[in-house]
Amino acid sequence: MPGELIRIITSEDPAVRDLSLDVFARRASLDQLLAECEQLDRFRRQSDNLYQRVRALFFLYAIHRFHLPTKPGVAAKGHVPFDGYNNLLTRRFEEAVETFLDVQKKDGPSDAICSALAAAYHDLAFQTLANQVRRSVRGVRGNQWMFRIGHPADQPLQIRPELLQRSAFDGSFPILAEKTPVRMDLTHSAWSDIFFLGMDFPEGARVLNVSIDLAVLGRDATPKPPVEAYLRVIDEPVLRLVSVDLAARADITSLPEVFDFARDYLGLLKAAVIASGIVPPGVEGSGQSLAALLGRVVGPGLGLEIVSSVNNIPKGSRLAVSTNLLGSLISACMRATGQAKSLTGPLREEERRLIAARAILGEWIGGSGGGWQDSGGVWPGMKLIAGSPAREGDPEFGVSRGRLLPTHKILGPEDASDAVRKHLQESLVLVHGGMAQNVGPILEMVTEKYLLRSEAEWDARKQAIGILESILGALKADDVKGIGAATTRNFFGPIQTIIPWASTYYTETLIARVKEKFAGDFWGFWMLGGMSGGGMGFIFEPTRKAEAQKFLAETMSAVKRDLQNALPFAMEPVVYDFAINPHGTFAGLLEDDKALLPPAYYAFMAPQWLRTDPRQLSPLRRAELDRLGAACREDTGLRGMVETLFDRLIPRARGEGSRGQNLRGMLDELGFDREQHEQIRTDLKGGRTGLAQNRLPANTVIEDVKPEDVVDLSDLQEFGQREPGQLKEWTLLGTQALKAGEVGVISLAAGAGSRWTQGAGVVKALHPFCKLGGRHRTFIEVHLAKSRKVGKAHGAPLPHVFATSYLTHEPIETFLAARDFYGYEGLLRLSQGKTVGLRMVPTERDLRFAWEELPQRMLDEQQQKVRESLHAALIGWARQAGEAGDYTDNLPSQCLHPVGHWFEVPNLLRNGVLAELLRERPALKHLMLHNIDTVGADVDPAMLGLHIARGSCLTFEVINRRIDDRGGGLARVNGKVRLVEGLAMPHEEQEFGLSYYNTMTTWIDIDKLLTAFGLDRESLSDAQKVSSAIRTAGAKMPTYITLKDVKKRWGHGQEDVFPVAQFEKLWGDMTALPEIDCGYVVVPRPRGQQLKDQAQLDGWLRDGSAAYVEGLCEWE
Amino acid sequence: MKVRKAVITAAARGQHALPLQTLVDRDGVQKSALKIILEEALSTGVETVCLVVTPGDQKSYATAAGDLAGRLHFVEQPSPLGYGHALYCARAYVGADPFLHLVSDHLYVSRGKVRCARQLVQMAEAQSCSVSAVQPTRENVLTYYGTVGGRRVPGQNHLYEVENVVEKPTPTEAEQSLIVPGLRAGHYLCFFGMHVLTPGVMELLGELVTSAREGKPVQLSPALAQLAGKERYLALEVQGLRYNIGVRYGLLSAQLALALDGDDREEILSQMVELLATRERSGNSIHEGHKGGHE
Repeated sequence: MPGELIRIITSEDPAVRDLSLDVFARRASLDQLLAECEQLDRFRRQSDNLYQRVRALFFLYAIHRFHLPTKPGVAAKGHVPFDGYNNLLTRRFEEAVETFLDVQKKDGPSDAICSALAAAYHDLAFQTLANQVRRSVRGVRGNQWMFRIGHPADQPLQIRPELLQRSAFDGSFPILAEKTPVRMDLTHSAWSDIFFLGMDFPEGARVLNVSIDLAVLGRDATPKPPVEAYLRVIDEPVLRLVSVDLAARADITSLPEVFDFARDYLGLLKAAVIASGIVPPGVEGSGQSLAALLGRVVGPGLGLEIVSSVNNIPKGSRLAVSTNLLGSLISACMRATGQAKSLTGPLREEERRLIAARAILGEWIGGSGGGWQDSGGVWPGMKLIAGSPAREGDPEFGVSRGRLLPTHKILGPEDASDAVRKHLQESLVLVHGGMAQNVGPILEMVTEKYLLRSEAEWDARKQAIGILESILGALKADDVKGIGAATTRNFFGPIQTIIPWASTYYTETLIARVKEKFAGDFWGFWMLGGMSGGGMGFIFEPTRKAEAQKFLAETMSAVKRDLQNALPFAMEPVVYDFAINPHGTFAGLLEDDKALLPPAYYAFMAPQWLRTDPRQLSPLRRAELDRLGAACREDTGLRGMVETLFDRLIPRARGEGSRGQNLRGMLDELGFDREQHEQIRTDLKGGRTGLAQNRLPANTVIEDVKPEDVVDLSDLQEFGQREPGQLKEWTLLGTQALKAGEVGVISLAAGAGSRWTQGAGVVKALHPFCKLGGRHRTFIEVHLAKSRKVGKAHGAPLPHVFATSYLTHEPIETFLAARDFYGYEGLLRLSQGKTVGLRMVPTERDLRFAWEELPQRMLDEQQQKVRESLHAALIGWARQAGEAGDYTDNLPSQCLHPVGHWFEVPNLLRNGVLAELLRERPALKHLMLHNIDTVGADVDPAMLGLHIARGSCLTFEVINRRIDDRGGGLARVNGKVRLVEGLAMPHEEQEFGLSYYNTMTTWIDIDKLLTAFGLDRESLSDAQKVSSAIRTAGAKMPTYITLKDVKKRWGHGQEDVFPVAQFEKLWGDMTALPEIDCGYVVVPRPRGQQLKDQAQLDGWLRDGSAAYVEGLCEWE
Repeated sequence: MKVRKAVITAAARGQHALPLQTLVDRDGVQKSALKIILEEALSTGVETVCLVVTPGDQKSYATAAGDLAGRLHFVEQPSPLGYGHALYCARAYVGADPFLHLVSDHLYVSRGKVRCARQLVQMAEAQSCSVSAVQPTRENVLTYYGTVGGRRVPGQNHLYEVENVVEKPTPTEAEQSLIVPGLRAGHYLCFFGMHVLTPGVMELLGELVTSAREGKPVQLSPALAQLAGKERYLALEVQGLRYNIGVRYGLLSAQLALALDGDDREEILSQMVELLATRERSGNSIHEGHKGGHE
């Protein structure tokens, strides 16, 4: 008899099929749930139906992530087997599931193994989906043959004769110029353009998508198609790829180079050449010659030049620029090889569909991904893009309910009159807010929530479908105000119900300011694409549009300035002018004296030609320079070209050196220790320090701690029942200390949150990360709200210190001052960091160690190839830049690094903040030190009381380990109980034998700590003594070398990530010192959970942790 | 339906000397390629053959036809307006009768006793409709052939109902509109250079010729694509092989195929073995100077 959940999954009746897992799982007992899981797991292995398989996997994931851990009978403590973890990393998900299930069967369900199974099922579900998309896109008719071509002699494509027709004028080849609009999504429809939704719920996958031309307000004269692709024959047997906007070019002469995506910035062009069949995907790894292949396609001795240009539209515009550029390039390549009927002009519907399919293929080949509506710019005007059910004969038939590719219905005048199109253009202000964030995690969340059908989210999805209908209605009725109302309703309703993270503090501040200024003349807000903060639309009463554009430009700049340290901005915000493009992608042939590429191409390419001896230039190149020269005189579009070329030929020295100066100044100011730096460099070069040397000796005995080594308060309720007297006593002790003003809080806010924002370098403490108590709150605000609540409850405001660093001090100070320190009643101080390091170019040895020796999360097959090629490029960079050399080629703040949280407490001594605290609050005896991202940590009387009762110098809070808790833990090291950093583990797998993970939250007995440092309250005023004490203590602490990813921003929102080497000393190593008496307490997960990655937020919100934190806070 | 007439087009500029070359036929007799083609046509029972030639070629063709010259009608294609136009030049000869059509640069070797053209004519007469001979062809050479899409006639192994005809498709287009269920992946039905056509084709060609833009060549495939929409039109997978004597080494392959299929098989085989045994490979010099090819 199939279980209830299988019945939900397999039902033909939507009323049953759309039932939510949560409703069932909340009511079910542990045994019931486990029985359902067993059935589901069997079912998902047997089912041939993609949707059923995937939904079963997501059910299994959600049960293990959210439901099982809450059921009585699930052990709090458990171990994740290392083998299973390794399988996860290497993407052998099925084996990982097997391994974890075996452990579960043997030891019974535990929190740890549930977390592992959740991770394995989650990843397996996404892998299944990705495989299906890949199979479907390969199976699209028109794409299949490209995978069968394995030899140049197989290549059936030939260049169209028109492109080989040399000009009688100067012998040049004509240029095929493709111009493509970008797409704007008028309805959003709650991300219904993710592939899986279209394939499973074609009825609900509908978007209104508009092709638009763009101009940057105040820079460009009129809107034009922002995306351009050019193709021409050249008289060399090479594939010349040029990206004008990224200033990258390559003359490719071998096939492996075509498939090497991360080698340069030409990945998109390469993907287009491959997906269009010119270099068919089947020839990868064939060992054949590119020249022979080009000889087949173009002719012996000839090659192709392909040029892309994006007219300075920045990344993150949410206008699908890259997909449409890919589409544009593919279109040009297809026209050139006769795969489109017409060489010039618009395309036919079946050709556009094929381009859409090939763009998906190209994105997959290039290791990226988008939604199915993204190539919408290839189509003309406004269109309704909708999923369509799979029918017999489709490759999807019997596998999924819908087809991979949607259908496009172009709206005619009866659906959207010329008048409403005009009115829309007159009302809508399109902007790029300046944030460029990765929306990948959001799209994963949408897929997951769709499959789980949680009540609120499923209702929201249905509402979003209704909103699409009302927008279509408003278009028909020429009611732009109605459109604004609908898109606003969408943003504040369904969109945020499904994904709260789609909105940001920045966006909501902008909306509030616009509302305040324009009141009834502001008709609505409209989010473009995956999330807000980048491309956005604001709809106004038409007479006020010009004023609104100006206002938004100023307001965005001002708000950005205020928040630039809190949120990851990639660029200065811009306001666009736009026009609806009625053609879709469109090509023309440039011949004779008109055969010129865009001006930016010449600005980029011509300087090197001009430097070449004219006799060495080929006749074609000379002719081209000649045409360019003539055009410069006549064509107004080329005005300024001569000056540009002159500047590029003889670069001006302006600005050189200023960066170096600035960095040196900062180093001097921030307490950079040159001597120590040189010592580390020498050690790094000599191989005495490095990633491998971080580890404890291989013969170190590392064992899990014994029950008597910790106090287990992970389940306070259970402990209270078991030892009611004990808990009461500690609570009383803690309460008394709080009332007597004996406690303060130190929040470590020195970090730039490199994992949090993938190296963007914002101040994590200031990140408004989540809506709590109805508003977005920063980490600092949350910590103060907790202190406020505890302080008020005990009638003694808690002193609260934020430990800052060179990166965060000034921003935090300014930010807090601008917000009146959140009205905090207690003593509030910043403890400024007094040490800084200078990052170094990593050694090849360390890079290889990190990428080849340490377990790495393997990516999807194609992404993995891209990553490997990137790694090779970065190793090349390290060698070229000089291993262990100073890393200075970035903004100064990105070249410096904080030196680890061990220094935070010594800083308190050195900068006088502790002395000041003790002066102003002489009763102060204890400090609670915690990380900025441990949002559940508060001054809990019971924990405090335990610390006081035990009388330890330091009491560390640990939690039961889950699979994501990586990086050391509590262990017996050669018999001594201490915390071990992950970096120091002699063997990776040892960590998996440890039950507890360090939360970093530490209760400190001030006087005992001072004693350990050889100090006391009085000697704190003696700077000399303090310094010497710190140096002595520091010498006992191990130094770790780590690699950090640092972003380097350039161009228009482009980013590169470099791994750099830095060193750090870590607080947990204090537990290794024999003179310090340490205690350990296991705390409940919501208290100890750290938020390291934004992708964690959704689960954190859903598993009740956010509500737990909200309960600890008092906002005003 | 009875097929009594045949049309052979031999007016392609630059290629019109191809049928005049001499080979040794299956029977060991030296003859021109043209004569071999004519024998193929006449084996089907057609009574007369119309040759479409370029102006001035008539005499040399008559000579090459030898004793068959008496059964020939000559028609000239005054200017090179395409393959379809060349065929259209024979409209007066064809009149209201069905006809066999062959191209002059292909030689055929049947797999069985029945010659290729005869297989085709028999099928056309049995089905009373236009039939084109086709051969499953790999996608990498699609760009040289007219290609048909369709489905198998139920109960008939090698016969297809034609739904679509595209001249020299890209594999992309072929995959989208020319896939024939039952063929190997990446294989399509391409023309064999041999058709039995109803006079309706001449009308369709006539329309194409009239509407063609100045100087733009008229092809046969578009007319056949239209034919498929108008009347029953079949494709027969002929049991045999074709040899295009217009491509590089085409004549050599054709000659070898004929010889290996005929009376001199043993002799040719022993000559080839001897050649392989004695001939040392002298670098690449043999291959140079033979550029060109299909184009």
